[in-house]
Amino acid sequence: MNIRLLWRERVLIGLLISSGVVLALLSDVFLTPANLLRATRYAAEIGLVALPMTMIIISRGIDLSVASNMALSAMAMGLLWQRGLPIWPAVAIGVVTGTLAGWLNGWVIARVRVPAIVVTLATLAVYRGIATGLSGGTGILGFPESFLALGAGTVAGIPVQTVIWIAGIVIAAVFLTRTTNGRYIYGIGHNETALRFSGIAVDRIVLGLYTASGFVAALAGMIYAARVGTAKSNAAAGYELSIITAVVLGGTSLAGGEGTLVGTVLGVLILTILQNGLTLARVPAAMQDVLIGTVLLAAVLTYRERPMRKEVSAQSTSQPAPRRAAGRAMSDPENTLAAGEERRKP
Amino acid sequence: MTEALLQLRGITKRFPGVLALDGVDFALTAGEVHALVGENGAGKSTLIKIISGVHQPDAGRIDYLGTPVTFPTPRAAADRGITVIYQEVALFPDLTVLENLYVGAYPRRPLLRHSGRGRRVDWMAMRARAQDVAASLGVKLDLEAPVHRLSAAQQQLVEIARALLRDARVIIMDEPTGPLTQQDAARLFSLIRQLRSRGVGIIYISHRLEEIFEVADRLTVLRDGRRIVAMPVGETTREMLIHHMVGRTLDTLYPHTARQTGPPVLEVEGLGTSGALTDVSFTLGRGEILGLAGLVGSGRTTLARAIFGIVPPGRGRIKLDGVDARIAHAGRARELGIAYVPEERQRQGLVLPFSVSENLSLVILRRLSRLGFINHASERTVAHDVVRRLDIRTPGIGVPAATLSGGNQQKVVVGKWLAAQPRVLIMDEPTRGVDVGAKAEIHRLMSELAGRGLAILLISSELPELLGMSDRIMVMHRGRIAGELSRDQATQEKIMAMATGVA
Repeated sequence: MNIRLLWRERVLIGLLISSGVVLALLSDVFLTPANLLRATRYAAEIGLVALPMTMIIISRGIDLSVASNMALSAMAMGLLWQRGLPIWPAVAIGVVTGTLAGWLNGWVIARVRVPAIVVTLATLAVYRGIATGLSGGTGILGFPESFLALGAGTVAGIPVQTVIWIAGIVIAAVFLTRTTNGRYIYGIGHNETALRFSGIAVDRIVLGLYTASGFVAALAGMIYAARVGTAKSNAAAGYELSIITAVVLGGTSLAGGEGTLVGTVLGVLILTILQNGLTLARVPAAMQDVLIGTVLLAAVLTYRERPMRKEVSAQSTSQPAPRRAAGRAMSDPENTLAAGEERRKP
Repeated sequence: MTEALLQLRGITKRFPGVLALDGVDFALTAGEVHALVGENGAGKSTLIKIISGVHQPDAGRIDYLGTPVTFPTPRAAADRGITVIYQEVALFPDLTVLENLYVGAYPRRPLLRHSGRGRRVDWMAMRARAQDVAASLGVKLDLEAPVHRLSAAQQQLVEIARALLRDARVIIMDEPTGPLTQQDAARLFSLIRQLRSRGVGIIYISHRLEEIFEVADRLTVLRDGRRIVAMPVGETTREMLIHHMVGRTLDTLYPHTARQTGPPVLEVEGLGTSGALTDVSFTLGRGEILGLAGLVGSGRTTLARAIFGIVPPGRGRIKLDGVDARIAHAGRARELGIAYVPEERQRQGLVLPFSVSENLSLVILRRLSRLGFINHASERTVAHDVVRRLDIRTPGIGVPAATLSGGNQQKVVVGKWLAAQPRVLIMDEPTRGVDVGAKAEIHRLMSELAGRGLAILLISSELPELLGMSDRIMVMHRGRIAGELSRDQATQEKIMAMATGVA
């Protein structure tokens, strides 16, 4: 496999290293193995969901319901376990719930032909609402140790969820760059019509993408519940914006057709270490959001300076979109919840 | 010769790696229709863009109305009365005709009667002037209709009216008949003659040489960024013109070889879709080229899409090699060996940012992979094969399809379907917007494919092409087959009579 980095990925690596250096100077705790490993626990949650999100955005879609779906699947799992089902069957059913929720998104988008942003904006509210209704307003606590290991355990010194994330990255990257469906996902993003006129089952691929997104969100929901030790309806609130921010920071274009998983992983890492490091450096939360927003905007602007081979024609149309998204993602009050969530568990 | 309205001398324009224009001279007099001809890439577009202020020349001078000028922006050129009507209509589909006519230059009047500067859009004045212009052209325009409800011809009319409302002295028309039916084109020509008699200078660009002989007074031939010749249209012939354009003589324009039509491959019986098609039946034999004529909107494209499974099937039956085929979606059609080269090459045929090789493998990608994994080596082999076989002119198989010329892009679309080795090939306007050289190559390829047994359904608005290429011609009118003509019987007049419902 030839790994030739794009310009924007080099920008991201530079950004990652330089923010690492700055944060290490600001806080002596930041660059300790313990802290970095802990940071990856949070990174793994948004990082996992960011994998199918990248593919969805490349296909010119979006899934805003992922965080609600995380809460919904965790809630389903928690309630079943509370009513006496053994933990692992409960987890399995929870994951199935999230997968079905994702499938429902995909079905409405692909078959009923409602724009993804509308469908998932609706299910963002619906899934969260169902989770809240099911919970009756209280969280579920007291899960067995075997389950909590998913969020707090380690394998050979590496957090369990980080191992899952790395496996996910490998699978997703191979899928996106090596397989026919991966190729078609880029094609759908560039020109869905031409794919339909080539006899390609676009709807089936789109349905698959949102189903996969639901599955991974459910998985991340379990990991989240295991990490905080609670299944609660407000779990992962605002995560969807952190996830989309990481994907866009990683260079995926909301106009479709462009993006890489390498970029997304770098985007997730930068977002995480900034949140983690700035908190350790005692930078106020409001200031952190301003900084992260500025980094996002600056990074996306540099991508514009160097049109890449493949993106020549897409470049002019693709760039305004991420900038709009940047403004939206970072100015939204929901996003402070995402950062705050992490800060409550330093 | 009267004094030139627009005079270009020694215009040179360089783009990275290409000399697009090399010392080109060009003159346009008032009341003249001046055709600009040349193959794709000859420099026509660049020249227009320089005249209209999109590009700045690297060398040379432009005189307009007797004084040297520079147009730093398209707006500057438009303000001086130079208007371009592009191939793709540039109107706002959701605005009304009236709003489109004045976009960017709404006449104003004061908010209150004596309150000084204009603030309020003066709808009454707009309507009155628009009606004047329409009347002077002898056409009717529904000023309140949203533009998306107009036909292509009517939209073009709006563009012409808009140019006149801005007192255009020079109107540049880039392939104006591309989206038009034969009748609408005839109407456009009479409109052009009217504009000419008003003293407007018209630069006319078209790949259809018949049109140039019909409508133009003078012509300038460009080739490889140089002016080859400029002369009155009456002093040249079609053959000479082609010779000037391609720099060589094309042996035969429509290479039709005598073939035996084999047993039926595709049989369509009583096909109907709600509204668009009624009781369409025909057969297409092995090695046959069946021409499908008809006006735009007569159902030709819908028929093609119904066979290809893009339009959901309604009534009727489709048989392939005598076996009933239920074609519910395009993927099924592809599996059954039906290929469709769609009419809109860039929107429906290609993924423009994808490389030539990625486009060529699009249809057969599953066959080029094992367990879902793409075999990149065989993908490259197939791409090289097709590029060689169809003589696709590209710097490499890795460059984006967007960088290829129209003719070569079209060859990529044809090539991606040939790679799938179809039994039936449906071609919808396969040579629209393609230059003469590539057009001849596509025609030769069609003859060759038919000679090897491929059944081809050719949809075209260009009658000489249909007459030249087809073994049989079927004419559609309002969703029905209006008639069928053998190669020997078919004439332009008979086809038009059937297509317009006269016969």
